[in-house]
Amino acid sequence: MRNLIAFLLRFQGVMLFVLLEVVSLFLFITNSSYQRAAFFNSANSYAGAVLARRTQVLDYFRLDELNRQLLADNARLRQQLYPPDFTRREADSLPVGRDTLGHIIYRHLRPDPSAALATTAGPTSGSTSVRLKKPNPLARPDTLLLGGARLPTRDVEYPLVPARILNNSLRAVDNYLTLNVGTADGVQPGLGVVAAGGVVGQVKSASAHYATVFSLLHSKMAIAAKIKRDGTFGSVKWPGDDYSHALLDYIPRQNRLVRGDTVVTSGYNSVFPEGVLIGTVESFVKEPDKNFWTVRLRLSVDFSRLTYVYVVHSRPHTERDSLETAITAPEPTPAKPPVNLTRPRR
Amino acid sequence: MSVLGTFLGHLLRFVLYAGLQVLIVGQLSLFGLGWCFLYLGFVLFLPLRTPIAVQLLLGFGMGLAMDISYDTGGLHAAAAVLLAYLRPWVLRLLTPRDGYDTQDSVNVHQMGWQWFTVYLLMLVGLHHLVYFFLELGSFQHPLITLGRVGMSILFTSTALLIVQLLFFPVRRSRN
Repeated sequence: MRNLIAFLLRFQGVMLFVLLEVVSLFLFITNSSYQRAAFFNSANSYAGAVLARRTQVLDYFRLDELNRQLLADNARLRQQLYPPDFTRREADSLPVGRDTLGHIIYRHLRPDPSAALATTAGPTSGSTSVRLKKPNPLARPDTLLLGGARLPTRDVEYPLVPARILNNSLRAVDNYLTLNVGTADGVQPGLGVVAAGGVVGQVKSASAHYATVFSLLHSKMAIAAKIKRDGTFGSVKWPGDDYSHALLDYIPRQNRLVRGDTVVTSGYNSVFPEGVLIGTVESFVKEPDKNFWTVRLRLSVDFSRLTYVYVVHSRPHTERDSLETAITAPEPTPAKPPVNLTRPRR
Repeated sequence: MSVLGTFLGHLLRFVLYAGLQVLIVGQLSLFGLGWCFLYLGFVLFLPLRTPIAVQLLLGFGMGLAMDISYDTGGLHAAAAVLLAYLRPWVLRLLTPRDGYDTQDSVNVHQMGWQWFTVYLLMLVGLHHLVYFFLELGSFQHPLITLGRVGMSILFTSTALLIVQLLFFPVRRSRN
C-alpha cells in the first residue's frame, strides 16, 4: 500500500498531465457537435455577459463606422421600397415554345379585349369602362419573377431575429460568432444566420440570452448552394486560409462557368431560405485528378466588419426534417448533382 | 505568506491575465496573422517551486477559461497543460551553474536577459507550434501556419517582455 502511494506521488505530474490532456482533447474534438451543453462555450451566461460589456465599451470607439453601416443598410432597404418602374408591369403573354420554323410561340394570358367587350356589352353597358379598368384578378398571371428572392420579414410565425455580434474570430481554423440573442428571443440551435450582405453561418447552441454560431469560416460548415444563372447546384466550403474567399464544390466539369456568376443558397438543406446571396465566382480551374471544377468564390459578406446580423427561420424546416429523416439517413453534404438537369445553356 | 494569501494572489493574477486577454489583447492581431497569447504569462511567471500538480491545474483552468471565451472547446486548455508540464523541464535545462536560489523567480531583472529570452522563446515557441497544428488538425497548409506561429511568437514574447519590464520588481524582495 505504501509503495502504491509512493508510486502515485512520484508520478503525480505525469498522471495528472495525461488526465488533463485527455479531458481537454475530448472537449476539443467534440466541440463541433450540436449536442454540447451551452456551458463550455461563449453562450454561457457569464462569458456572454463579459463579452456583451466589452462590446458596449468598444462600440463607443466605432460609432462612426456602425452608423455608416446602418445607413448603407437603410439605403438598400429604402431602395427596395421604391420599386423599379417595370415591377408593376404584367406580361400579357408567355413564350411557351418554338414552332417548326423557329419562331417563338406566345400564349396570351389575358382574354382578348374585344372578347371581353363582347361579354360585358349587354344589360350593364354603362359600367363597361369601369370593369375594363379593374379586370378580374383571377384572369391575371399571379406572379412574374423579376427581382431576386425576398424573405418574408413580416411573417408572425417565423420572424427574422435581429442580433448584434458580440464576439467574432477570423484567424482560427474553426471560427465562431457570439450573438446577443438566445432562446428567449426564439433562437434555436440549427437556425441560419444572415447579414445584409449574405450568408453568415448557423446557430450552434443557445442559452437564454446568448447564442454561439458556426461561422461560414468553419472547417466543418457546408452550405447547399446553386449558381443563380443556370441553377447548377453544389456546396460551399471554407478552405481555411482567407476570410474573404471560399470554394464551391461539386460543379461538374462539363458545366460552363462565368467569372462573376452569382452563387446563392439553394434551400436544399433547409437551413437558409432559397436565394440568399453567398458570393460571386472569382476564378475556376479544371484539375486533372478531379471530376469537378475547383471554383473559388469571393464571399459577399465581409467578415472582418460584421456587426448586425439576422437569425432566419427557414419556413418548412421542422416538417421537412422530420419527413426526410423518416425516409433516408441524414446526409451532411448535398448528394452529387444530377447532370442532365443542369446542362448549360448556350 | 499564508496559504490563503497565496491563493488570493493567484486568483488576482488569474483575473488580471484573463481579463486583459479577453477584453483588450485578444482583439489585436499582428499583420493579420499573429495573435497574442498574453494569458500564458499566468503560467510562465509562476514561482519556480510551485508543485507540478498545482501548475498543471492552474494551466488547465486558464486554458479552459480561454476556451469558453473563444469557443475552441479544449484547444487552449490542451496547449496550456502541455506548457505547464514542459516548464519544469525547461527550467531544469536552464539551471544556472550553482542552482536556483530560494528567492529566484522568473524575472528578467534577476535572471538576466539571456536566460529570460531563451526561457520565453523556447516555451512560447513550443506552445504555439502545438496550438496551431492542433487547431489545424493536419499539416495541410504548412507555410501559412508556420507564418502564424512565427508572428504569434513575436507578438506574445514582446507582450510578455513588456509585462515583465513594467510590473516585475527590479530588486529582489527580502523575505
